[in-house]
Amino acid sequence: MNLRYALTAAALVALAIGFWLAAGTPPDAVQGEYVRIIHVHVPSSWVAFLAFGGTLLGSAGWLITKRARFDHYAAASAELGVFFTALSLLTGMIWGYVTWGIAWDWGDARMSSTALMFFVYLGYLALRRATLNPVDRARRSAILGIVAFVQVPLVYFSVVLFRTLHQTPSITTEGSTMESSTLRAMLFGLFAFTLAYAAFTTWRTRQLIIEAELTATDAEHAGSAVTAPTLGGRP
Amino acid sequence: MEPLLSLDHVAVAYGQTPVLGDATLSVVRGEVVALRGPNGSGKSTLLRVLATLLRPASGSGVVFGERLGTREVESVRHRIGLIAHQPALYAELTLEENLALVADLAAVVHTSPAAALEAVGLAGAAHRRAGDSSQGMLRRADLARLLITEPDLLLLDEPHSGLDVDALGLVDALVRRCLERGGAAVVVSHLTDLGVDERTVSIVGGKLVA
Amino acid sequence: MRFWRTALRIAMRDLRIEGRSGEVLLTTIPFGLAALFLIPLALPLDRQLIATVGPGMFWIVTLLFGMFVTFRQSAVESPAQRETLRLLGVDPAARFTGRVITSALLLVVFEAVLAPATVVLYAPEPIDGWPLLAALGIALIGTMAVDVTAGLRGRTSLAPLLVAPLSVPLLMPAASAAAAIRRGDGIVVPALLMGFAVLALAILGVMTAHSLEEASG
Repeated sequence: MNLRYALTAAALVALAIGFWLAAGTPPDAVQGEYVRIIHVHVPSSWVAFLAFGGTLLGSAGWLITKRARFDHYAAASAELGVFFTALSLLTGMIWGYVTWGIAWDWGDARMSSTALMFFVYLGYLALRRATLNPVDRARRSAILGIVAFVQVPLVYFSVVLFRTLHQTPSITTEGSTMESSTLRAMLFGLFAFTLAYAAFTTWRTRQLIIEAELTATDAEHAGSAVTAPTLGGRP
Repeated sequence: MEPLLSLDHVAVAYGQTPVLGDATLSVVRGEVVALRGPNGSGKSTLLRVLATLLRPASGSGVVFGERLGTREVESVRHRIGLIAHQPALYAELTLEENLALVADLAAVVHTSPAAALEAVGLAGAAHRRAGDSSQGMLRRADLARLLITEPDLLLLDEPHSGLDVDALGLVDALVRRCLERGGAAVVVSHLTDLGVDERTVSIVGGKLVA
Repeated sequence: MRFWRTALRIAMRDLRIEGRSGEVLLTTIPFGLAALFLIPLALPLDRQLIATVGPGMFWIVTLLFGMFVTFRQSAVESPAQRETLRLLGVDPAARFTGRVITSALLLVVFEAVLAPATVVLYAPEPIDGWPLLAALGIALIGTMAVDVTAGLRGRTSLAPLLVAPLSVPLLMPAASAAAAIRRGDGIVVPALLMGFAVLALAILGVMTAHSLEEASG
């Protein structure tokens, strides 16, 4: 069976199961039913980082092999990264509002850094739109994709370095502080969102490949519109 | 005779627009090729491909024994002299400072900036800023660059443009010096007579016609 | 040795051009000073508030307006100038390094003018945050942004869009340093964070200089 269809089917099934698991988790004593937002917020954050890692891999792949496929994958991954970062920020703001009464806390370095990562990749997509030549676009984007990824570890470390309002990681190497059904639902959600990322990426990459093939055909030569002037031209 | 450079069905595009469709060309030592064609036909683009500055989208080429589009071709760039439409001078620097920069960065220097300016008739304007100089003066100063580096391959894009009657022979002299060194030249010009024995190659719609 | 000789020659070229055009001294620095002056006018008349935001405003203005130091006209070479350097065999990494050196030096001057102005206008606690490291970091990112956007339409707004968020790993440690010192917190880790960001940018800048030169050709 075609990989894209298989991934899509698996993602849909996994998302459905994830939704069901999340719906079955107990409400929080303080946050009530709103606690379930974390089952979208946390996987979205994870996929955002994953997607930007995909952009890094695609960028490095293009620089090494010069194969257009890697560039298309990098672009598709960045687009999805922007989407999931936006989703993470939106759900984070909703969660922050219902939990702490403030949608955006400037003391939260992680939210701020995540928002800035969003802008970094918007800049990446803007750079791609501004570059017409496909090889030139691939080269410039690849370099920016690698440089931009330098920022990603700083997003995570900022939670530790700048003590803030943001919830410290619930899952650490020492073990989890989370209730077991919630933990189960969250881990499955991470898996489901990862499958969704993989499915979306394969479709979008394929679309970009087809677009590139279609635009590479039979364009008119640059000078074909130039003719001898009618004023003062040689007879 | 082994050609100094050769192109084999080279194509180049700017964005999605083809500029050079099918360029096949060979130039041997001691040869001058006059490249002629209508506006937009790809003449300047072809010069930049020969200068190894533009990577072909398809086809292949060899310049001084190195293949176009490879890292190795960078090793021969110092043997190439390109005079483009726009002078490559920094407006805030004087004419002499501009040439001193070239001399300081070049791998091998054959004449001093002062001597080069003298040769092109700009000794008296050595301390004038490039931004305060006329187009013709900038063209002369740009040509003076070739006296400093003495490249083996001259690629000249409308080199006579802006030059007065006294300076028109400057281009011919530079080309002759290059040929005497065993080099070659490709000149884009609308002049019907370049003053040297030349082979004319026409370019129409991005394709070369011998 | 040739690498550094070339880099310094490029830096000298740029400094000489800047010295004659005066773009940074006569335009960018006054622009930054104007911004520092305007900000308190938009805040409530609360001296304590203004003093508190002073160090942060210094760093924000240094970032947002200082990036124009790297985008100055003399830092943007024409296609013919770039091609001449390529044909001369100038190492792209050396050319990049030379331009970074110039931008960093000009940014230090920028900071040196703005810092006392901030003290006068905001009366803050002392500004800290490793200005030399910050200048180098902004110079690195700004120069890379100039190269990545060379020749593109919309370059004048695209380049700042790329620089601003990428400068945060420099901005946050620098802006937090003064407060951290006041609290008695350790500043070694933030300093290392900033140092890591600058080092990574320097390595990436040098490694990608060649590729970017091919892109702008």
